[in-house]
Amino acid sequence: MLFSLSILQLLYIALLAPLTIGIIRKLEEIVESKKGPSIFQEYFDLRKSFRKETLVPQAASPFFIAAPYVSFSLYLLLTLVLPIITAFPLTFGPVVDFVGGGLIFGAAATIKKIAAIDSRSNYAHLGTSRASTIGALSEPIILIIFIMFGVITNTNNPYVINNVLQTSTNWYLSLIHWFATFAFFMVLIVETGKLPIESHSLGELGMIDQAMEMEYSGKELAIYKWGGYMKHFLLMNVFMNVYAFPYYVPMQPNLQDIFIYMIINYLKIILLAVLFVIIQETFSKYRLFKIFDFVAVALVLAFLAALVFYTTGGNV
Amino acid sequence: MNHLDNAFLLVGFLEIAMVIFMQWEVYITNIIKTFSISSYLIALLFLIVGFINKENYILILAALTALTRGLIIPFYLRRILRKDKWRARETSPLVGISSSILISLLITVMGYLLYSLTLSNYINSNLGPIPITLMMQGMFLIISRSSTFTQLIGYLVMENAMYMFGYIFPELPFIVEAGIVLDLLGVVMISGAIIRLREDVIKNGSEEYTELKG
Repeated sequence: MLFSLSILQLLYIALLAPLTIGIIRKLEEIVESKKGPSIFQEYFDLRKSFRKETLVPQAASPFFIAAPYVSFSLYLLLTLVLPIITAFPLTFGPVVDFVGGGLIFGAAATIKKIAAIDSRSNYAHLGTSRASTIGALSEPIILIIFIMFGVITNTNNPYVINNVLQTSTNWYLSLIHWFATFAFFMVLIVETGKLPIESHSLGELGMIDQAMEMEYSGKELAIYKWGGYMKHFLLMNVFMNVYAFPYYVPMQPNLQDIFIYMIINYLKIILLAVLFVIIQETFSKYRLFKIFDFVAVALVLAFLAALVFYTTGGNV
Repeated sequence: MNHLDNAFLLVGFLEIAMVIFMQWEVYITNIIKTFSISSYLIALLFLIVGFINKENYILILAALTALTRGLIIPFYLRRILRKDKWRARETSPLVGISSSILISLLITVMGYLLYSLTLSNYINSNLGPIPITLMMQGMFLIISRSSTFTQLIGYLVMENAMYMFGYIFPELPFIVEAGIVLDLLGVVMISGAIIRLREDVIKNGSEEYTELKG
C-alpha cells in the first residue's frame, strides 16, 4: 500500500510539474491581455526536445551528458520523501530528514553548476557564477528556517512539522511560524527564479538559470528542463503543504481521501501560481546587485523568527 | 504570557520588521507610508490596552498617536515633498542597503544582549528588548541615511519606541507621554520649514535641498 502510494506520488509530481508551469505561463499571458499558448505547451516542448539530436561541445567531458540525468533522478528521489499527497511517511520517508532534503536539493544544484562550467561556454559560466553567489546567501536562510521549524516541533521531519501545524492552531498562528513562512516564500522566489529576481519572459533575460542550460540540446535539454519543472513544483508543494497551508493533508492511509486530496492539493498549487503571476506582472526585475538586499531581508525575517522564539521562551 | 503581552509582542515585532523595510526602501513616500502604518499599529495596541485595563488616559494617548504620527506628520511630510513625489528618493546612503539591513539585524541582537545584561534585573518582563531594539534601529536609520526625510522618520521611530516603553513601565506619567507628542510636532514643523527654506534658496539643486548638513 505505502509502496504503491509512493509510486502514485512520484507520477503525480513528474506528470503534473510541466502542467503547473504551463498554467503559470498561460495566466501571465492572460493578464497581459494576450491569448497565450496552451497550458499543455510545456509537454509539447518536452516531446519536441526528446526527438531532437544531442549536440555536445567539443571541450566538454562525459559529465556534461550525465549531469541532467543525475539531477533529474535526485529530484525523483525527493518526490518520494516529502509530504505531498500524504501527511504520513511513505516507504522511503525515513531515508532523509528535512536537512537531508535540503542537501539533496543542494547536490542537484551543484551538479548542474559543475556541468555548466564543464560546457566551457562563457554564458554558462556567467550564469553559474551568479547562481552560486545568490545560492551561497539563500541556502543558509533555508537552514535557519529548517532549524526554526525543528525547534517548534522538536524534530526535523517534514511529516511531523505538517502534523504539528495541522493540529495546533497556536503554532499555526504564531509569529514564529509566519516569519519563517514569509522568509521561505522569499527564498522560494529566489530558488524558482521568479520576478523580482529573474525574468524568463522573451523581453527580459535573467541570465541566471537560463544561462546555465545554454549548451544543452535534444534529450538532455528535455531532461534538464523537466527536472527544473519538478524542482519548481516540489518547492511549491513544500511551501503549501508544510508551511503556508498545511490543512486537509490526509493523516490516515485511506485511498479515497488521498485521491480527493490530490485534487485539493492541485487547487492549492494553482492558488500559489496565481500569487506568482500577480508578483510577476506587478514587479519589475531587480538589477543584479539589488538581489542581495532582497536576500538580506529574507535572512532578517528568518532570524526574527528565532528572536520571537527567544522572547516567548517557546510558550505560544 | 497574557493576551496583552501577546499583542505587544505581535506589534513590536511587526514594528521591527517595518523599520527593516524602511532600511530596504529607497523611495521616501513609501518610507513615510510605512511609518504611518506603524504608528496606526501602535495606536491600535494602545487602544486595546486602554480598553482592557479600562484606563482613559491610554485611550487618549492612542488617539493622539493615531492623529499626530499616523495622520498629521506623514501628511505634512508628504506635502513638503511637493514636486515629483514618486521620484524623491535616497540617493547617497552612507551605508549600503544590504549591509544596513544586516546591521539593523545585528542591532536587534544587541538590543537583546543589552537588555539581558542590564535592565532585566530590574524589570520583570521579557518584552523589554523590543522597545530598546526599536530605539537603536531608529538611531541607525538616522545615521545610515543622508536624506533629511529619512532622518526625521528615524527620529519618529525612536519616539514610537518611547511609547512602547510606556507599556513596559506602566507608571509613566501621562504628562511625559503627551509631552512627547508636542515635542515631535515642533521638531517636524521646524525641520519642514528649514527644508522649504533651503529649497527656496537653492533653486537649481535637484537633490541637495533634501540634505541638511551641519
